[in-house]
Amino acid sequence: MSKQIQEAYIVAATRTPVGKAPRGMFRNTRPDDLLAHVLKSVMGQCPSLDPAAVGDVIAGCAMPEAEQGMNVARIALLLAGLPNSVPGLTVNRFCSSGLQAWLAADRIRLGEADVMIAAGTESMSMVPMTGNKIAVNPAIFTHDENIAIAYGMGLTAEKVAERWQISREAQDAFAYESHRRALQAIANNEFKNEISPYQIQSHVPDFLIREVNVHTSMAEQDEGPRADTSMEALAKLKTVFAQHGSVTAGNSSQMSDGAGAVLLVSETALKRYNLTPLGKFLGFAVAGVPPEIMGIGPKEAIPRVLRQVGLQLNDIGWIELNEAFAAQSLAVIKEVALDPAKVNPLAHCHLAAWVAQAQTEIWHGHHVYWNGHGCCRNF
Amino acid sequence: MPKNFIVRKVAVLGAGVMGAQIAAHLVNANVETLLFELPAKEGDPNGNVTKALEGLKKLEPSPLASPAKLTYLQPANYGQHLELLRGCDLVIEAIAERIDWKSDLYRKVAPYLGADCIFASNTSGLSINELAQAFPEAQRHRFCGIHFFNPPRYMHLVELIPCAGTDTALLDRLEEFLVSTLGKGVVRAKDTPNFIANRIGVFSLLATLHHAPRLGLNFDTVDALTGRYLGRPKSATFRTLDVVGLDVFARVVDTMRNNLADDPWHTHFTLPDWLDKLIAEGALGQKTKRGVYQKVGNKIHVFDLGLQTYRLSEDKFDDAVKDMLRERDWAKKLDALHASARPQAQFLWAVFRDLFHYCAVHLEGIANNARDLDFAVRWGFGWDSGPFEIWQTAGWQKVVGWINEDIAAGRTMSSAPLPGWVTDATRNEVHSAQGSYSPGSNQYQARSTLPVYRRQEFPDRLPGEAMQYGETIFETEAVRMWHSGNDIAILSFKTKMHIVSSELLDDILRALDEAEENWLALIIWQTEPPFSAGANLLQLMQGVQQVGEEQSGGFFGKFKGAVQRVKYTAAGGGGLSEIVNAATGNVARVEDVIVKFQRVSQRLKYAQVPTIAAVDGLALGGGCEISIHCTRIVAVLESYIGLVETGVGLLPSGGGCKEMAQRAAAEAKGGDIFPFLRRYFQNIAMGEVSKSAEQAREMGYLRASDRIVMNHFELLHVAKQEALALVATAYRPPLIQRQIPVAGRAGIASFKASMVNMLEGDFISEHDYAIGCRVAEVMCGGDVDVGSMVDEQWLLDLERRNFLELLAMDKTQERIEYMLRHSKPLRN
Repeated sequence: MSKQIQEAYIVAATRTPVGKAPRGMFRNTRPDDLLAHVLKSVMGQCPSLDPAAVGDVIAGCAMPEAEQGMNVARIALLLAGLPNSVPGLTVNRFCSSGLQAWLAADRIRLGEADVMIAAGTESMSMVPMTGNKIAVNPAIFTHDENIAIAYGMGLTAEKVAERWQISREAQDAFAYESHRRALQAIANNEFKNEISPYQIQSHVPDFLIREVNVHTSMAEQDEGPRADTSMEALAKLKTVFAQHGSVTAGNSSQMSDGAGAVLLVSETALKRYNLTPLGKFLGFAVAGVPPEIMGIGPKEAIPRVLRQVGLQLNDIGWIELNEAFAAQSLAVIKEVALDPAKVNPLAHCHLAAWVAQAQTEIWHGHHVYWNGHGCCRNF
Repeated sequence: MPKNFIVRKVAVLGAGVMGAQIAAHLVNANVETLLFELPAKEGDPNGNVTKALEGLKKLEPSPLASPAKLTYLQPANYGQHLELLRGCDLVIEAIAERIDWKSDLYRKVAPYLGADCIFASNTSGLSINELAQAFPEAQRHRFCGIHFFNPPRYMHLVELIPCAGTDTALLDRLEEFLVSTLGKGVVRAKDTPNFIANRIGVFSLLATLHHAPRLGLNFDTVDALTGRYLGRPKSATFRTLDVVGLDVFARVVDTMRNNLADDPWHTHFTLPDWLDKLIAEGALGQKTKRGVYQKVGNKIHVFDLGLQTYRLSEDKFDDAVKDMLRERDWAKKLDALHASARPQAQFLWAVFRDLFHYCAVHLEGIANNARDLDFAVRWGFGWDSGPFEIWQTAGWQKVVGWINEDIAAGRTMSSAPLPGWVTDATRNEVHSAQGSYSPGSNQYQARSTLPVYRRQEFPDRLPGEAMQYGETIFETEAVRMWHSGNDIAILSFKTKMHIVSSELLDDILRALDEAEENWLALIIWQTEPPFSAGANLLQLMQGVQQVGEEQSGGFFGKFKGAVQRVKYTAAGGGGLSEIVNAATGNVARVEDVIVKFQRVSQRLKYAQVPTIAAVDGLALGGGCEISIHCTRIVAVLESYIGLVETGVGLLPSGGGCKEMAQRAAAEAKGGDIFPFLRRYFQNIAMGEVSKSAEQAREMGYLRASDRIVMNHFELLHVAKQEALALVATAYRPPLIQRQIPVAGRAGIASFKASMVNMLEGDFISEHDYAIGCRVAEVMCGGDVDVGSMVDEQWLLDLERRNFLELLAMDKTQERIEYMLRHSKPLRN
């Protein structure tokens, strides 16, 4: 069990809708603008809070370069109109970067801060998967045990599928169910409270009037879920990462764009600003696994965090599990014996942007969130 | 009339299969083009055209020289954009073959045509004079037929058909545009149903349909007999029919039946019952996935006349007949076929005989001379020789005798007598040094004297025409160096498929010495394509082509094959057998050859006189390396260029890797080299081959300064002009670059990282990976820090070392051996 001197409470959480990359609705929307938007929005949910009281804004970003480079947390908070006395920190742990922003809670738990923002942003449309410049360390190839550092994630999903015997059919079925759940959630308006609609502006040349045409449109709902998919359509797709493998574009997460933010406070701040908690942060664990099966990470991290917070698996009512690849989710479900009904009930996908999506769903859904590298729980 | 004939803009009316592809070829030729279609009933009024443009992307072989060309095609519709026609110098109509629809359209657009606009119809069978009636009389002199063949990018023929009032000068100008700008072969046809090529081609098919069942031959056997063995496309007869479409064929036959009542063969202008039946069932050929053939799983099934249903396709080739067909001399070939009692031989003789008979009787009516008929068939159907050429080569009078015997015996499809000019006892030829015979004028007509043909120093040949390639400077077993004026030396390879052998490398060095001493420039030009592949590749390509076509059932296979098969070919140059011989015995000798090759490349690059590679067709492996080191490449649009050595387990070592690394460094302009290098690395590691010269430019094998030529008969002319221009502008070779930045060890690691994923994903083999790593090492300049400066020799040394190390590997030797033995690449 970890030690802390005070509790950290979640008082506000929001996210943008999730756009598809690289040709989706946010293809021309900058990730720092998306982040600024959710920072503004999350502050707006607690009007009684003095913005100058924010001790730090910690934002996760998987590929912190170019449009989301330098210190994107600090840039976005300034763009959001927070006082320039508020500092910002960008953290990176590749796909789980957004989750690492939860270290904001630790600053509170240690008594070093009373108000913190944990956030994340990613534009996979603007910054490609491996960044704009690839420059691999030659040392990777001098020792065979390091060669998997060079593996693409899709290949690691194939390795997981192979080792945990996850069939193509099971992966496709999982993917299909994910789309179904997401569409159902949208139909039931489940995301209404968590999404901060974003006004997209596009600047396009209009050849009829020979002038720039500024279009605005409102992004209100996730773009990813496909009503037109079917088991048959999924079964037809070719494998992408291994000639004779089972992982396809259809049973992998979509590439996406989006941002999310969560506001955390200490008990003192909760009282001072008269805020209502959505949840309480309990714990966080992270674990390393061999790089060639990286997606299996939660298998180590889940027991670790349960020990840390003194809970059993069946105490948990809602589990948000990274769904980078159906193969990897299913292997974790199998290995840790998770109840599939409790896993991602509103569905998920989404490499970079689940950061935003998952975090907020948890707090709005009052449930628990696991991911590849850690977990946290509400009350 | 102004001196210049400039076609600024062309409109194509009708975005069907032909219209859209003609428009695509116009943009291939950098001609501004509008493509018109009816306005869409819903949504974007250009919707119909946009859809057609999307369809162009999916066609194989591609009508577009590069996908990027599509963006230059401007969509338009009759509802909104008729005004745009005023800016067009040429309008090509290619809508459905209905005279009423065409006439309506003509009446609609006539008021919008500019005063000097040429309006031409791509009709394949309707009467041009009848169509002209829809135009106001004042505009009729600018109307004519312009008949493209499908697929228009690849088929050389365009038939030009004047109407009664067409202005001859205008027609001449149009011909020049078609020949030089679009690269086509123009034949002037008379306004008779189906014009020349289709009239003859369709008859040939009808003759086949007539004789095959009579002699008990089924379609698969006929196709085995009538393909490459007769110098025709692999798709032969019935596979071609499937591609053309059974319904289209039926319509063409209808046109003949309805409009050629006086044709002595008129009773044969009908379709057999089985064909009607297939059409009624909707089995129209490739477009409906079922015709004479259909694909069942991986197997090809053919409609069997006896069974009246499909069965597995096989070719029941009579070995004795096969031997007759292997004979290349038409005289001996036809002798053997005529003399044989075997059904397959009798069949072939009967089809040839009736085809000759038909051509002889109709030449005067449909064409100006025998050359036009032969070229129409050659260029329109991809036959190596036209009917009259074959006849003449086989012995004119002898064949006349045979035909007359058969007419007398009632064996011919028609009893019409051969015309007098044919049976004239003094006749031995229709093609002669003076020209080709014209029955109308009873004279030999010389070739066209239009200025555009001055650009063709060596046009398509006919028998009887002497072909003298200038004056010899020196000649060896491997090359001939010669000239034909302008003080420009030309080097032509004599090796099979123009492969690069050790002797040939010596000869290039000698030619360079000679050129630097006595000539203004050196052009490497081959008397016929390819620019350079490998001798063993000929068989390889044929092998692959067979597989490819069985799979696709493709009938313009000759063309489709050209773009697809080259992907599978490997290591064009370097003289494979030589390398293998040396490898098993004397490695030092291989090293010598490589050093020599590198010296040739560097000398081509730094020669004191400009060097020009005139590329047509394949330029693979060593052929590609020679071309990219020349001062300029002048390439025909249909050039298939690539460094494909990895296919046989090797890497380019005649300067290919070095050159591309150097280009990447130059393009990076001091910035990060890796993204530029990555493209070139992929080309080499994957053995990619361009599907056009345009694409070769995108792949980096052609530079901005290199030229693309549309008509391959103009290639030598353009190469010479390019050489003269370089000389006129005081050519100096480039300075030797002594500081080339390289991507170094980090670059190698980054390439390896992506290849590890392909290896682990089973997309490549261990040996592919090993080869790829070596390509990476060479192109990144070896195990040096990023941004290190190296010189060309450093990169050449890396090429050589890695080549020799690969050659020493068992798996590479297996690949080479397999290639030589089976003419197919081995993936090990």
